[in-house]
Amino acid sequence: MPILSANGVTHLYNKGTPSQSKAIYDINVDIEEGELVGIIGHTGSGKSTLVQHFNGLLKPENGQIIVDGKDIWKDKKSTREARFKVGLCFQYPEYQLFEETVYKDISFGPKNMGLKEEEIHKRVLLAAEYVGLKKELLEKSPFDLSGGEKRRAAIAGVIAMQPKVLILDEPTAGLDPKGRDRILEMIKSYRERTGSTVLLVSHSMEDVAKIATKVLVMNKGQVEMYGTVDEVYSHSVELRNIGLNVPQVSKVFEILKSNGMNLGSAYTVEKAAEIILSKGGASV
Amino acid sequence: MIKDITIGQYFNGNSLLHRLDARMKIILTVIFIVSIFLCQNFWSLGLMLLFTLVTVTISRVPLKMVFKSIKPIAIIVVFTSLLNIFYIKGGTPVVDWKFIHITSNGLFTALFMALRIICLVVVSSMLTYTTTPTMLTDAIEKLLSPLKVFKVPVSTLAMMMTLALRFIPTLVDEIDRITNAQKARGANLDDGNFMQRIKALVPIIVPLFVSSIRRAIELADAMDCRCYTGGPGRTRMKQMKFCLRDFATLFVMVLFVAGIVVLNMYFGAVLVK
Repeated sequence: MPILSANGVTHLYNKGTPSQSKAIYDINVDIEEGELVGIIGHTGSGKSTLVQHFNGLLKPENGQIIVDGKDIWKDKKSTREARFKVGLCFQYPEYQLFEETVYKDISFGPKNMGLKEEEIHKRVLLAAEYVGLKKELLEKSPFDLSGGEKRRAAIAGVIAMQPKVLILDEPTAGLDPKGRDRILEMIKSYRERTGSTVLLVSHSMEDVAKIATKVLVMNKGQVEMYGTVDEVYSHSVELRNIGLNVPQVSKVFEILKSNGMNLGSAYTVEKAAEIILSKGGASV
Repeated sequence: MIKDITIGQYFNGNSLLHRLDARMKIILTVIFIVSIFLCQNFWSLGLMLLFTLVTVTISRVPLKMVFKSIKPIAIIVVFTSLLNIFYIKGGTPVVDWKFIHITSNGLFTALFMALRIICLVVVSSMLTYTTTPTMLTDAIEKLLSPLKVFKVPVSTLAMMMTLALRFIPTLVDEIDRITNAQKARGANLDDGNFMQRIKALVPIIVPLFVSSIRRAIELADAMDCRCYTGGPGRTRMKQMKFCLRDFATLFVMVLFVAGIVVLNMYFGAVLVK
């Protein structure tokens, strides 16, 4: 049974006004437990709108969202449960920090769940550890942290709810390459350690290729493709047609191939280096 | 709730009202507001209503948006009408039963006040619907410029107003975003008693203040980088110029005021002293 599925989900923007438009249309997706799904698409393709349906922030016009076998709009209680089962971390989450200390801020979610003090304490420390925040930072004001630390503190605030599905909307936006790699590494190890499902919204094909197990491509409010990284990335022509670029290394490999040097396919620099090194001795 | 704010809302168009000089529109609106309170009988009241209807028609602003601007003041209109009906004395008694005394003067005053308030709001909302906030503040700056003699920093005030208006939609978006982020962490904003609800706003207000201050600092830096010094001697890219249609509408407005005065004198006041 999939942990999260959308059945025929449609959402309208500006309903009832002349500017009414379909933000997403007839979305059918099943997400299996333990997957790390990269959701990619052009700006305005409906990725963010779709993920806001998964935890019940937006109510679909049509269709159902099933989390853990339950329709989240069945009653008020199910909707609230969905908020905690599906942890959604928005773009630029550092702008949601508000408490006096980082510790208090991370504990905001667990507190809202009505957990006991000891349990909250345990979860905060664990979440801080997952995102690589040092213990001494927990007593500082969140506004005294550096940009990257703030972001990790905010992500910890969502992880501390220990959701079954963690959704991160553009978690690497606006970070330098080092900060970006650090966040991606953190997401990967979080998933490996907890075995939970992770959805990563991004428009960087490189980022998704690095860590995702499956890829969901959105275009104009609909699901364009959904499959493993290899399945999706091999459709480079279709991807380009909807305004998405395959990673630069893949492009290099394609050009080499069209010039008579078939090295197979690679989507990350590391994989490409591996292939070239393994073939290097033979072909030169 | 927050999306109902109509202040500074501009309806894009190219009607005569849109093309009028903003300074003239402000002057005309002020004249109209004064003349609203000159109406003393049904004839002049009718002329005022007709003028309001014509203004709305010329502006080509959809009626739906006009009603939206009246909605927030509906309570005030009903409340003042009720007060007037029950408390104004004089004229012929209409109802005289135990403690309820309603007179013709009361009924007329209520009707007049209600229509006056509605016309006032409709016509002034026409001003904001047909004038962009930037044009409006430019015009206010120009109209207030005589105050510079008294060392009033008119251009600085105008810039502050422009910026404030400019950031209303930005802040509305920001509130939406922060609210969603906190809801995703289980913040409960809809339930609980009054105090609990106030407390539930803290996670929204604190980040809002922080980001507003950050925005203000960034904006100030950006203005510095473009060598903004403000103060006197600043010129405008779009110069305001009065042209024929501005004077023509002013002439119509003068006719309207004259019409009201004449109707008042000819038919007399409807309220009995």
